[in-house]
Amino acid sequence: MNTKAPEELDSQTTAADTISISVKDLSLYYGEKQALDSISMDIPAKRATAFIGPSGCGKSTLLRCFNRMNDLIDSVRTTGTIELEGTDIHDQRVDAAQLRRRVGMVFQRPNPFPKSIYENVAYGMRIQEKMQKSEMDERVEWALRSAALWDEVKDRLKDSALGLSGGQQQRLVIARAVAIRPSVLLLDEPASALDPISTLKIEELIEQLKDEYTIVIVTHNMQQAARVSDHTAFLYLGELIEFDKTDDIFKNPQRKRTEDYITGRYG
Amino acid sequence: MLIATENESKRSLGHWWSSGEPWIWLNAAAVGISITAVVGLLLLIAVKGFAHFWPADVTQISYTELTAQGPQPRVVYGEIVEEDSIVLQQYLESGGDSSVIEEGQENVTRWLIKTGNRRINPPDFRWIVENQIQNRVAPSGIAVIERLEWGNAYGKPVRLTRQNNAVVEGDGVWGALQEDFARAEEIRSQIEELEQGVLNTLNYELEGLRLDRRRAELDDRRDRIPEIDGEVANIRAEYAVEEARLRELYKVLEGQSLTLATATGSEINVPLSEILRSWQPNDMSTGTKLAHYFSSIWRFLSEDPREANTEGGIFPAIFGTVLMVLLMSLLVTPFGVIAALYLREYARQGPLVRLIRIAVNNLAGVPSIVYGVFGLGFFVYFLGGNLDQLFFAESLPAPTFGTPGLVWASLTLALLTVPVVIVSTEEGLTRIPRSLREGSLALGATKAETLFKVVLPMASPSILTGVILAVARAAGEVAPLMLVGVVKLAPTLPLDGNFPYLHLERKFMHLGFHIYDVGFQSPNVEAARPLVYATALLLVIIIVVLNLTAITLRGRLERRYRGVES
Repeated sequence: MNTKAPEELDSQTTAADTISISVKDLSLYYGEKQALDSISMDIPAKRATAFIGPSGCGKSTLLRCFNRMNDLIDSVRTTGTIELEGTDIHDQRVDAAQLRRRVGMVFQRPNPFPKSIYENVAYGMRIQEKMQKSEMDERVEWALRSAALWDEVKDRLKDSALGLSGGQQQRLVIARAVAIRPSVLLLDEPASALDPISTLKIEELIEQLKDEYTIVIVTHNMQQAARVSDHTAFLYLGELIEFDKTDDIFKNPQRKRTEDYITGRYG
Repeated sequence: MLIATENESKRSLGHWWSSGEPWIWLNAAAVGISITAVVGLLLLIAVKGFAHFWPADVTQISYTELTAQGPQPRVVYGEIVEEDSIVLQQYLESGGDSSVIEEGQENVTRWLIKTGNRRINPPDFRWIVENQIQNRVAPSGIAVIERLEWGNAYGKPVRLTRQNNAVVEGDGVWGALQEDFARAEEIRSQIEELEQGVLNTLNYELEGLRLDRRRAELDDRRDRIPEIDGEVANIRAEYAVEEARLRELYKVLEGQSLTLATATGSEINVPLSEILRSWQPNDMSTGTKLAHYFSSIWRFLSEDPREANTEGGIFPAIFGTVLMVLLMSLLVTPFGVIAALYLREYARQGPLVRLIRIAVNNLAGVPSIVYGVFGLGFFVYFLGGNLDQLFFAESLPAPTFGTPGLVWASLTLALLTVPVVIVSTEEGLTRIPRSLREGSLALGATKAETLFKVVLPMASPSILTGVILAVARAAGEVAPLMLVGVVKLAPTLPLDGNFPYLHLERKFMHLGFHIYDVGFQSPNVEAARPLVYATALLLVIIIVVLNLTAITLRGRLERRYRGVES
């Protein structure tokens, strides 16, 4: 059934899913160089969607469009629209900072601030709203529990976050993003700098988080995509080649290129 | 055979050269020479400076001096300050007495003696050649009296005139002197308290009222004048009362004096009110000498200078230096940081920004005296002059801010050091990983929030590095200060008990200028020389302390952010 060409992907997701992010005809240029070419896709809410593809294919660039992180690069120019829950995020009235509060992001390398564990988690909240100390404490605990880190750090919340291991730091960064209660979480190769055990923990975490959040994850690791995601998009040279349910992509790819990539013929 | 060995040796020399070993030796030698030079310099100024405070024995020296009337016998009391050897020819050419020279002698040893008693037996320092000396002893009982004026007096105490013309003579003099001296000290401290406290405040208020009156005249509010005049009369009355008390106190000290016999037997009379300190070095144990030594150092650090800066302490100079440097840091840090933030974070990187950056770097190389001239022309005359016109019109033509002063000196030095702060702050900003900025932005922080909450705290060690360099440069700078606020002798500290407590418009003293003044402008070179060394050492110590404080702070910040910059 789910075997449509990319041009027809708009209506591809199953009817039961509400759509979180809707991309229409998105192209992106770094100066003269085109990095994304007419991408259209609907990312379902409260599901995990994986972007796969060889290096330089535009996965991260596409991900960074969703919270307008590309605004920081002077030479970037985009056409097309991206709607978050029905609102065009490039609308004049949308403030990039406000958008980023609803679309959290976790980067490839853990990047905790050189502050205490507590302050790292509280950072986004402090910027956003005035909060009672007790409420803040509760929220920090909740965020750390959400990121499955609470038990490991509850006795040293005041210690520097830089003293944590790489895997712990990455979960701390996820807790930090979760703490401001976004609706979407963008994960840009969250486990690529981690050891296998930490990777496993992150994957388990994604499994839990997708009940609450729309998750979009960029990964190089196809097994990982297969394990954690419900939907998978395959990008190649800035084009969306195929977007479908993960099972279908891996078991029954429609495009030759997808198949070649998945079976390891290139990439 | 012979040729082969030559080749071989050449090859081994070439090998030694290319092994890099000569470089290691060269580097080690360079480092060694630098360290030796620095340590040697510090040792020299420390020894020369601090030997001055040791209570040296007073010797009685009998010698002959060649005068126009032929050789004359002389006898003096004095401290041996320096020993030195000169060649015979130099001695003879400077008019030395050839009759005292032994046959075959090539060098002449001479001593620099501090003989004091400047008023009756000048000069107070003299060179005496060893050959001229018949007799040299250190008899007990010789007293050294440090006077308010005219330097030290040396002599045997013979008589003490106490209150109501009571006279003590003979052995009891010294004990009685200590008693009277303690009492005199107490009165003197009361006098000082009066002069520096109440009378000073009243004077300050009178000056304020005078300005108020003038302002009322200028503003055409003559109705206020009677009120002000009333207040002036009140304060004048109060002043008269306090002045009478002061006169009473002075009167108590009047008439009391100590009489000393000099080596030649003539007498010197030292009024008790003139005596600052008295001691008998030849009768002191090592313990008391040590106590005396440290109290001398303390006095040097804590007292005001006297006698054209050749006697007394250097407290106002220490105070002025530190205060000026602190003010400078307060001005330069925000200014430099904001400039660097703009250049690095907000300005579009292009040819213009590059040009500005080059200009900033070049600014650091402009000779400091040029800044001094600029400070005088722009800050003092233009800014200060206009400030006076606007806010201090009542005291014109006497300038308030339109004359060199503390704030202008700090501003000039801030301008001088701002490139250093900009450059190191920019360096710190570029070193902060992009990922951390993105992390903050991704959490919904604005650019400004990211700067203030993440970037600036992380750049703080680099900012402090800039401030450290700025402080090191500013504290040692003298040339521009001479134009914009430093004086040889400032009557008041820039910080005191009169509102508004910190007087930015006042002139101040500075250790660097003090060294120059004491060393090269002094009427009494020999007396001033040890003070030059001591002051130089102190300036070095102060700069080191200021730097160490900042370095410790930076170290603490760096530990907090360690591991991030990867």
